[in-house]
Amino acid sequence: MLSANKHFKTLRWMLLAMAVGFLTPAVSFAAPADAVKKDVLEQGKKIYFKRCVWCHGVEGGGDGPAADRLFTRPRNFIQGTFKIRVTDSGELPLEEDLIKTVTNGLPGSAMPPWGNVLKKDEIVAVVNFVKTLVQDRSFDDSDEEVFTQDFGTNPWGTKGPYHLGIPQEAVDAGKEIFIKNKCFECHGGEGRGDGNPTMKDDWGFPIVAADWQQCWNFRGSRRNHYDPFNVVRTISTGLNGTPMPNFKDQITVEDRWKLAAFVNSLCPRKNIDPLANKPVNDFLISSEFTEGPVAKTIDDPMWTTPDADPKITGWRDSEEYAEEWGSIQRPRRNYIAMAGQITRGKRNFDPKVDNLWVTSRWSEEENAVYYLVEYHDRFLSEDPEWRDMVAIEWPAQLQDLFGAEKPYFIFGDSKKPVHIWRASFLAKNYRASAAPKPEGYELDMKVEELNGNGFDAVTVRDNTVVEVVDSKFIQGRVKVLFRRTLTTENADNLEVQIPKKQFIPVAFMQWSGRDHEKDEHMAISTWYYTILKPSIPTSIYYNAVIMGCAFAGFQGWLVWMTRRTRKMYDEGKVKRDELPV
Amino acid sequence: MNKTLLSLIVFVATLGVFHNVLFPIFTPKEAGWIMNRYSYYLIMVFAVIFLHLAMKLKPAMAFRATMVWALGFYFYKWILYPPIPWTLFITYMMLWSIGTFLYISQDPITFREFRAPIVKTIVGEYKAAQLIVFTLLPFLVGFGTYKALYPIFQEPVELRTVHPAPPATTKVHGKTYTLEGQTNPFRIDEQDNYKDSFPFLDADKQEYMKYVTEGGTVFFQNCHYCHGDQLNGLGMFSHVFNPTPANFVDPGTIAMLRESFLFWRVAKGGPGLPNESTPWSSAMPPWEEHLNTDEMWKVILFEYWYTGWHPRTFDTESASGGGE
Repeated sequence: MLSANKHFKTLRWMLLAMAVGFLTPAVSFAAPADAVKKDVLEQGKKIYFKRCVWCHGVEGGGDGPAADRLFTRPRNFIQGTFKIRVTDSGELPLEEDLIKTVTNGLPGSAMPPWGNVLKKDEIVAVVNFVKTLVQDRSFDDSDEEVFTQDFGTNPWGTKGPYHLGIPQEAVDAGKEIFIKNKCFECHGGEGRGDGNPTMKDDWGFPIVAADWQQCWNFRGSRRNHYDPFNVVRTISTGLNGTPMPNFKDQITVEDRWKLAAFVNSLCPRKNIDPLANKPVNDFLISSEFTEGPVAKTIDDPMWTTPDADPKITGWRDSEEYAEEWGSIQRPRRNYIAMAGQITRGKRNFDPKVDNLWVTSRWSEEENAVYYLVEYHDRFLSEDPEWRDMVAIEWPAQLQDLFGAEKPYFIFGDSKKPVHIWRASFLAKNYRASAAPKPEGYELDMKVEELNGNGFDAVTVRDNTVVEVVDSKFIQGRVKVLFRRTLTTENADNLEVQIPKKQFIPVAFMQWSGRDHEKDEHMAISTWYYTILKPSIPTSIYYNAVIMGCAFAGFQGWLVWMTRRTRKMYDEGKVKRDELPV
Repeated sequence: MNKTLLSLIVFVATLGVFHNVLFPIFTPKEAGWIMNRYSYYLIMVFAVIFLHLAMKLKPAMAFRATMVWALGFYFYKWILYPPIPWTLFITYMMLWSIGTFLYISQDPITFREFRAPIVKTIVGEYKAAQLIVFTLLPFLVGFGTYKALYPIFQEPVELRTVHPAPPATTKVHGKTYTLEGQTNPFRIDEQDNYKDSFPFLDADKQEYMKYVTEGGTVFFQNCHYCHGDQLNGLGMFSHVFNPTPANFVDPGTIAMLRESFLFWRVAKGGPGLPNESTPWSSAMPPWEEHLNTDEMWKVILFEYWYTGWHPRTFDTESASGGGE
């Protein structure tokens, strides 16, 4: 009964705390910085030199062995500049801020959540040791005041993990605030961080604005990616060391929540893997059967599905679409995670694109398949020498593969060749530093087909069968619509022939021209599967009716049998078992 | 009022109250002698029995059987912990259904009692019940057929061998290594007497820590992208790949392998794997292309130091005794 008591006790305390919270007006307060806890430094030092030193360096200068190969670079502690805080701009953080950062990690960077590995007292110890690495100021200095702001509370009372149900008016009002405060100058017109290509942090390293449509990469998301509080905190406190200022004087607390509602509404709701802090990969790209021809423009309703998982948001087709196509024939927009190619040659440790979204349809009438590949890239190349590229990779000789066998996932291998469809493009009249252009940019597109028999044996094919029927670069998002006939002449037996109703391995590659990526210096995915889904055969409807009727017949037989037995009892032909009724 | 209907109300209400109010209280984070899910279940069953006795309810046999069956379903679905896979659930429910049937057919009277409402429904003495059941069931069967026939496509399952048998020898940087008996040249302390030493801090003091530091440096410049800053296989690129990178903290990986096995895997990477380990989708690079032999051995030394595991070693006695 002990634990039951405990339960009620906690409940009582919670009620009391709530009552106090209602009675006292929320105020912000200033206090001296949290002094260093001297007694845990020895323990903290040991943890630091086992776990942290590799990135943050021996003296905390953010210059450990790993630092040069990371983007974003590890934090330099020396100046006491910490990004994620509840204190004012330029001030030292609370100890609690640092503890939360170490516990939850910084998603989208190499900083992992240490709460899984270290105990609470170990985290406190290492945080206190890190405080001693700050040289330019001191946590023990009584002049170092920290001012904790009042962030208000979530006005809509939404809950995690997805924080759905924020009213549309609040989101719309947030958009007004977004425009009024010119957030688009850095974050871009649709929040993909594509506003300003020239930003630097306090140490002169290049830095980019957050992509609001990938909120799982928000550094301060504290593993609660869709919580608007994270955004309110950042707007209120700014990010020390970066060009992100605070807006606490320009925007009222109520308005900050509305702005946060807008920012959060942009981020697609997907099932997030709690270990990786990224959306779960959609390992099967179903190509939806389409009656008649497939639309050849990206803006067609046939291709305009949301990124969010409809199961989470309850998204439905528009009525016009439902009328024309019915509701079952919507392809899923698949999330494909990408990594840098670090196996061979010039390796890519910091790819600028870490995911693609792929949607597919196929048409029996056209005997062709379409893949719409989309990805966020803040800035495209302006240099014809370094064109942006994205590619789909297939086993070239699908029919010869046995079981799970596939070619090597990057450029194939000597025995098993791959066939690559590559779109290589430059945006027309594009300047990365120009103001956001809502209608987007047309792309100067070149389609190539390649064959790979390993890294050193990649050749460009002469004849190109694959087409890119539509493409666009809109507000930091590239959209490329590939089309190819299912079968080709295939004279040299090195072109993939796409069968129906069969699982086909497929992989993706992407090169950012602005980052000077070319050849093996690229972003890659692993093998995925795609399948050309058949149309739903009408026979399943007949079969359902036939089974239903057959069962009804069986029921009739049962009634007839039971009645007959009854009658036989009544007429005395059969003797009922002699038990008292 | 009909005793069976009253019993139904009592049963549903009891389960509803217990499941929504008492169940969360009885499943705290730290389960105790009384505060656990099984005692909650027992209390619930006793509550149902007690209410029936107190209210002098004697529902029809068919309903009693349904109650018994439903309590079993509830137990396997929500109480039994950890949750069981659905195949096992079906097996358990089959056994439970047989048990319920035994309860029904314990003697001919109870069996007839159980049968009575069913027969009455079939012959039409319960008109409404007959109408509802006989119209609904064919539709359900039709819908079930539709559901079963509707094609659903799921990613095919691929099996792979995680730790394949290593080759007898491997050639790295022009030198052939016999994996059997091969040890890490930088493991100068077999007794693991370095737990209180730290990279960079003590690197100059002990030779061993110098090697660990160098190995860690290589690890954090090359390996942590996949195997993670915590060596738990959750690096920045890890979620991209299928199979996911190895978790060295897990006792099933480096803790049960020899250092020579790791040397072979590090040197040859994914492309060096045999077919049963699906080399085509392993993202592990053949590190002999980027690292020299010493660096590879030092990385291996670092991995054991960081995770605290000790590599599986050769039994010197049997090895010198000429094999098995």
